[in-house]
Amino acid sequence: MTLGLPIMSSSITSATYLAPAPASPLWQRARQFSSATLQVVALSALWLLAAWMQARWHVPIPASLLGLLLLAALLFAGVVKTGWIRQGANWLLGEMLLFFVPAVLAVVNHPELLHSQGWRVCTVIGLSTVAVMVVTAFVVDQVYRVELMLARRRSNRHV
Amino acid sequence: MSDSLLAAFCFVLTVGLYYANKRIYNRNLRVILMPLLVTPAILIAIVLLAGIPYQDYMADTHWLMWLLGPTTIAFALPIYDNRAMVRKHWLSISAGVIAAVITSVVSSVMLARWLGLSVMLQKGLAVRSVTTPFAIEAAKSLGGPADLAAVFVVITGVLGMAIGETVLACLPMIRSRLAHGAIFGAAAHGAGTAKARQIGEVQGVVASLVMMTAGLISVLAAPLIGRLFF
Repeated sequence: MTLGLPIMSSSITSATYLAPAPASPLWQRARQFSSATLQVVALSALWLLAAWMQARWHVPIPASLLGLLLLAALLFAGVVKTGWIRQGANWLLGEMLLFFVPAVLAVVNHPELLHSQGWRVCTVIGLSTVAVMVVTAFVVDQVYRVELMLARRRSNRHV
Repeated sequence: MSDSLLAAFCFVLTVGLYYANKRIYNRNLRVILMPLLVTPAILIAIVLLAGIPYQDYMADTHWLMWLLGPTTIAFALPIYDNRAMVRKHWLSISAGVIAAVITSVVSSVMLARWLGLSVMLQKGLAVRSVTTPFAIEAAKSLGGPADLAAVFVVITGVLGMAIGETVLACLPMIRSRLAHGAIFGAAAHGAGTAKARQIGEVQGVVASLVMMTAGLISVLAAPLIGRLFF
């Protein structure tokens, strides 16, 4: 329905999609398209299952998160192979912005945001974004040095 | 035009505009042309000028939003793919994420209060720096406006992508590629991750890991945030 492009792209991983042995391009594209569609359907089914489990057993975490943990567990356990879902997952992750566009349209229900409060909201977002960047940069840089130190000590012990 | 026809038209328009926008952006990587920015802007203009009711617009397009659920689940794959990086740098990644989430929530809520914004807006702003599916989930659990949270996430992403390199230029003592990637994932989620990938491979992977972990932590911490601030 929404699968407009048969060529997969991911905004998340740089892992490249391994194409099957070159057949006729049209046939190959049709096959990629249908297997990606099937994988998206499978991931959607997993989401519905997670939502059902969440409601059934009153799990305190959101259904989408439960589904993520479920799939991660299946991948790490080797029950699900990455090839079974890679195309579908890459398509979903690559086109994430599209799913998100209708949500942004909600702004038409809040005209006050476009007029009086807009600049205040943008001020908050701007200052807070800079604060997050500066704090994250320093914390990660410091802890990274600790990691390097620990790694060095560990390798010295082996020597 | 009948309602169902109008709804179908909105759906086709949204998908069509998005792919056209994406094509143009891929040829010409400028922040101002981002699909995250241009597609919603054109759609908002069309909806407002043509006077299309919001309900009619959403009638079919809400299926696109429905796909955010399976998309969240799909994040398990890149986490699994990058497990070597996770094992090596889990300490700095988790420390960075925790610092980022705390800074983001505290600074957003405090600034919003200081500028006299309503409690609803404060709640929406509190979750804005994580990626959409998680932000919507976290906003719901805070009792905040999920629709506005999405708008704030978009503004944050575009802004973070635009200013990230300037912020790094102002911090010359921060040299590790890990820290350079982390700031984009922590402050500007998916848009930042795309930018980090343009800077380098390691930066891109770190940014995506930080983005996903920050999303997870925000959703799990949302009840606590609600109790502490609201």
